[in-house]
Amino acid sequence: MNPRAAKFVLPALIVAVLAVPLFVTVPYYLHIMIMVFLFATMGLGWNLIGGYGAQLSLGHSVFFAIGAYTAVLFVVYKRLTPLVGGVVGMALAVVAAVIIGLPCFRLRGPYFSLATIAAGEITRTLLLHFKDFTAGANGVPIPFHGDNPLFLQFGSKAAYYYLALLLLGTVFMIVRTIEHAKIGRYLAAVREDQDAAESLGVKTAWVKMAAFMLSAAIVAACGVLYAFTVGYIDPDGVASVNLSIEIAVVVIVGGIGTLWGPILGAAVIVLLTELTNMYLGALRGGASLVLYGILLIVVIILKPMGLISLFDRFWPKKQVAHGTTA
Amino acid sequence: MNLTIFLQTTINGLMVGGVYALVAVGLTLIFGVMKIVNFAQGEFVMLGMYVSWMLATFVHIAPYPGLVLVGIVMFGIGYLVFKLLIIHVIGKPDESFILLTLGLSIVLQNLILMIFGAEYLSVSTPIKDAAFHLGGLTLSVPRVIAFLVALLMVVALTILLNKTDLGRAMRATAESREVATLLGINPIKCFTIAFAIGIVLAGTAGVLLTPMFYVFPGVGTLFNLTAFVVVVLGGMGSVPGALLGGLIIGIVEALSSTYISLDLAQLFTFLIFLAVLFIRPSGLFGGATK
Repeated sequence: MNPRAAKFVLPALIVAVLAVPLFVTVPYYLHIMIMVFLFATMGLGWNLIGGYGAQLSLGHSVFFAIGAYTAVLFVVYKRLTPLVGGVVGMALAVVAAVIIGLPCFRLRGPYFSLATIAAGEITRTLLLHFKDFTAGANGVPIPFHGDNPLFLQFGSKAAYYYLALLLLGTVFMIVRTIEHAKIGRYLAAVREDQDAAESLGVKTAWVKMAAFMLSAAIVAACGVLYAFTVGYIDPDGVASVNLSIEIAVVVIVGGIGTLWGPILGAAVIVLLTELTNMYLGALRGGASLVLYGILLIVVIILKPMGLISLFDRFWPKKQVAHGTTA
Repeated sequence: MNLTIFLQTTINGLMVGGVYALVAVGLTLIFGVMKIVNFAQGEFVMLGMYVSWMLATFVHIAPYPGLVLVGIVMFGIGYLVFKLLIIHVIGKPDESFILLTLGLSIVLQNLILMIFGAEYLSVSTPIKDAAFHLGGLTLSVPRVIAFLVALLMVVALTILLNKTDLGRAMRATAESREVATLLGINPIKCFTIAFAIGIVLAGTAGVLLTPMFYVFPGVGTLFNLTAFVVVVLGGMGSVPGALLGGLIIGIVEALSSTYISLDLAQLFTFLIFLAVLFIRPSGLFGGATK
């Protein structure tokens, strides 16, 4: 895209996205869009550690579940507004990130991925086990408080649509800032060569941990919003290894380590799976996930830099080479 | 503590552990030779179960007599998967393998769901409920057979790796691909065979499980995670390590589900896993991987 066209396309896209709820009133379609926004946001968060930091985490459902369960259980037990409960959830997710990160960052390659899978499965098992507190496999329905913004409960899906969009916009700006800030470059150095970065004085352990903590907080925020959008949470829905994998896959398919990759990936994956479910779901269970898996395989083999690399030739090269202003 | 219950639980765990070992040995063989973690290993257990179920249902070949047939089918599947998919990511970073095999696992699991539906299928053989009695202990025949065949396969693999030219070539490739190439070994051929044998071992585990386990599309997931744990516990790439690791995990799971809580059994498996990763990442038989 040449700069003049970019000036034009981006505002047009933003206006179009903002206008969608004015024309689309079917809740299911809005729900699909909300899921696109949430997965894009989580992808952006995951990308901080998985893409820029090159630590392939397959355990981000831990943070999603902590966000969702903390906010919901505070409402259930204490009638505390999720605006506060959600922040507590994000803080707990950051603590969990430190607990997981401290030992796991010593591991490299597949060992790191395996350890994060184990962390996710431990979280799920605990949520299932402590039934008295979490309701176990039955899950927790969120008690209805009427149309009440303080409890993130709205009569129309459009409100959730704008909240999810707001979250996506905020996280996008944060990640964009980080990409160009010092820590973004340190992360890039860690990705290129951890040992070399260390020898140049980059505190790689701290850089990775900071990215992981921020990434956890972002995914936890998505967990909170998801819980109140859907109105119900259970361990298999919010703490499954499949969720962790999908967060990573969104980024991989879109374009790992890029700003727009997670957004493109979320749009492609969520639309692909939801549309196949809609048209083939009743006919053939599993079809949507077969396509999802095939898409992942095709991208890995043919387009390892993700679908965003299809647009490379339209993109001005200037932003890619960071070095000029450093 | 009741001694009979304790012994019975331990023996049950040991028998299941044999099957875990078989799945894990396949995984560790692939890792040892190719340095990749196959995240779809459990799905090949599931495929083995479905092939075995189809043989039993449509052509009336019971699981045990059909073992060799399933093995041949699984070798073919492994060969095809390697030639169609795996070969494209050889020499690429670890992430490519992880994601490719994750994608493969999603496709296989849901393809089977599309074809066979989500129903729990089972093979009814008279042997299913047969059991040996020893003192107060009961040994279910399918479990004993599974355990013994699993041991036999591990021994056969060890002989293959240590006493044949093919095995030596595979071990040389595992040590150093470059040196192996200089010695006239074709590393891609070794990779193909190692991968296909790994898949055969997973499929065989599936056959052995069919008489005592329900067959359903998600069954592989249960074995996937356990197999990772076993392999890391035994030391990535170590065949005796995978065998011992499988038996240990089988016993730990059985004991914790009997004495602590059924739904926490997996928790202990994962805690052991993390402990090994952090304290001794090379595993019990580490060094074999280097």
